[in-house]
Amino acid sequence: MHGMTTYFLRRVLLIPITFICITFLVYTVLRLVPGGPIEQAQLQIKMAAMQEGGASGISDDMGDLQIPEEALNELKKYYHLDKSIPVGYANWLWKIVNLDFGRSYIYGEPVLKVIISKFPISIYFGLIGYFASWLICVPLGVTKAIKHKSSYDTATSVLVFIGYSIPGFVACLILLVLLGGGSFLDVFPLGGFRSDNWAQLGFFAKIADQLHHTAIPVFGYLIGGFATMTILMKNSLLDNLGSDYVRTAFAKGLSEKRVIFVHAMRNSLIPITAGVGHAIGLLFAGSFLIEKTCNIPGMGLLGYTSIIQRDYPIILGTLVFLVLIRLTGNIFSDMIWALIDPRIRFGK
Amino acid sequence: MFIKIMEIVFLLAAGYAFTHKLLPWVFIKTGKKLGFKMRMTPIWAKRIRRFKTIKRGYYSFIIITTLFVLSLFLELYVNDKPLAIRYDEKIAFPALKEWGNKILFFVNMSNFDKKSDFGQIGNDSVDYRLFAERCKNPNFASNAIKDKNDEIRDLKDELGDIPVPDKYSDEDEIADYNDLKILISDIKKEIGEIRKNVEIFTSGKAWIIMPIYPYSPYEHILDLPQRPPNKPYLAHPMGTDDSGADVLAQLFYGFRISLSFALIVAFIGYSVGVIVGGIMGYFGGWIDIAIQRFIEIWGSIPFLFTIMIIASIISPGFLLLAILLVCLRSWIGITYYIRGEFYREKAKDYVQAAIAMGAGEWSVMMKHILPNSLVPLVTFAPFGIVSYIGLLVSLDYLGFGLPVGTPSWGSLLDQGMKYIKYYPHLIIIPSVAFAFTLFTVVMIGEAVREAFDPKVFSRLR
Repeated sequence: MHGMTTYFLRRVLLIPITFICITFLVYTVLRLVPGGPIEQAQLQIKMAAMQEGGASGISDDMGDLQIPEEALNELKKYYHLDKSIPVGYANWLWKIVNLDFGRSYIYGEPVLKVIISKFPISIYFGLIGYFASWLICVPLGVTKAIKHKSSYDTATSVLVFIGYSIPGFVACLILLVLLGGGSFLDVFPLGGFRSDNWAQLGFFAKIADQLHHTAIPVFGYLIGGFATMTILMKNSLLDNLGSDYVRTAFAKGLSEKRVIFVHAMRNSLIPITAGVGHAIGLLFAGSFLIEKTCNIPGMGLLGYTSIIQRDYPIILGTLVFLVLIRLTGNIFSDMIWALIDPRIRFGK
Repeated sequence: MFIKIMEIVFLLAAGYAFTHKLLPWVFIKTGKKLGFKMRMTPIWAKRIRRFKTIKRGYYSFIIITTLFVLSLFLELYVNDKPLAIRYDEKIAFPALKEWGNKILFFVNMSNFDKKSDFGQIGNDSVDYRLFAERCKNPNFASNAIKDKNDEIRDLKDELGDIPVPDKYSDEDEIADYNDLKILISDIKKEIGEIRKNVEIFTSGKAWIIMPIYPYSPYEHILDLPQRPPNKPYLAHPMGTDDSGADVLAQLFYGFRISLSFALIVAFIGYSVGVIVGGIMGYFGGWIDIAIQRFIEIWGSIPFLFTIMIIASIISPGFLLLAILLVCLRSWIGITYYIRGEFYREKAKDYVQAAIAMGAGEWSVMMKHILPNSLVPLVTFAPFGIVSYIGLLVSLDYLGFGLPVGTPSWGSLLDQGMKYIKYYPHLIIIPSVAFAFTLFTVVMIGEAVREAFDPKVFSRLR
């Protein structure tokens, strides 16, 4: 166990290093690339002013249009744009460590507050999607393994391949077209987290409304991991069914049910269970597309709109959270793996 | 209609023959001429034989390669410019030139045809569709000529009202009289030109060969029955998008762009992955550990978000986007497998023998070990291509992919999202094309895996 402890200690110590590398990279890109934060902000304000002044013809003082002095100063101060890149980065990092993420200039609120308010929504959809995929993929994988090479196996394989060739957000789009009340059926709402009048609904109506809005995005999440998880389950059970201890269990006269569901199943679930941590990271990565498609105001949509609106404090804040979630998720996965599978010993 | 179908069937047959008969033949012949040994090792021959027996994968392979090779010639049969056009003594090949410009990106032939060279009035590009209509109906000008003649008659009447100027007339009267005369002679000249124009069309000195599907994805069609987007109808069997561009043409060009993008990303990514993985596995030691740490860090970059950030700032083109994807992601996956293969192969006797005979490190790695560690490369390639196609579509859908105006499935989906209530074809058509393409590639991948790395599960009952 000693080797394991140092292994995980080393992994945990690697988090800050990795974190610094990634954020430094993005910070440098944002600073170096022409059209970084400051230039973009200036351009944006110019454009807005031009659109306003469009009716009155092209204004003569277009060249004088500038980002308001105070906003510019705030931006400069926050990112230390007047200093060199390493110094500016170190200062920014220090602020992040002190949980000062700056202010969003779209929302006008502290970044941390905005991000935290979006978190539960993403987690809600992600978790339900993840559990749904467990509920569907594990039984499917198991039955496929048991009936390997039967017609049932072939038929479901086709389903799996179709699932693999349709990304989650495309599935959501198709469902929204077919069931979203456009040209075809009107079964589900066209995206959104809740109805606008959610607060006025009764208790059960609230639940019904929430579920109504949940179905399509969850299907998208489900499709995203469906094929991989089913095949993983099937292959790992098949591997185990061919192994010696299963042969022994059969040899000592146990029933097929008991061998499969008690002996082999327990070991076959290990790879999927260990994927929990990775799933946390994927959950947020995949959510850009699904949250945009279904118009769910979660982390993904926040990241997307902040990039479109060039709300740099939010962009960097979201990046910080994404990186941290992914890094901890990976370690979490390894830990679970080591916990449930005594054969796995990291650090040797 | 029947002729169109025959043309399409012929095109597909030609594509198949070209891709699967002519190309391999040429490849083998030139290989032999250049002195390469064109015999496969028995194990590869066996794998390929096994792949051919898995029908669903083999047929998918034939379908997708034929379609891809055909799509390399798209300009020649899905285009708003004609293959060939002749007017009097002037002959031009606009579509052919456009295709040449696309394929041989270093040449830049002008495929601009001035209107006045082709019997139309003006200095901008020829209206090929109008030209084609005139070819079909050479009497197009009879009304115009009649109108002009009427005009001349009216003018002559007017001229009759004005007294012929003599030395007593003032300047204005003389000017009016002369203007009218000039006008009449001008119109007469115009009639002459129209007559000449008609004569050329009727005498068969003007003809045009339009492509099978005469619309281009870059063309914003103006004479649509309603404001774009248009739902599917006879002339545009898959409708148009909101800029008036034909959806079917965009699908074809989007197929080519998606697939070639995925192939390029996979190719560059795998080359880098092979080199890095090879170095890791071959040298081992601290080099291995250092690169492993680096990959660990690099791999934890939330790469979709990072690409979105970078793309929002620099809006990359085709090649830059591909390189960005390679740098951030596509080289990592294969590296570990190649590393493992190199690790295993290095210990084998033939490698030791090669080293003992004095082969250089690079040549041991690339000439001796690599050919024996290609299995993961081949089995992963189709799935890699699937994910890169998906990635490009996702990025285009989010608006951070290829430049605006490039025909792509993702931007069609994005438009479909905008008009989700009223124009479902903008979502359904690209997603069906997308799912079909990915499904065929997945089928290939599955068959390749089965053929190259067969898993036999034994179990007791």
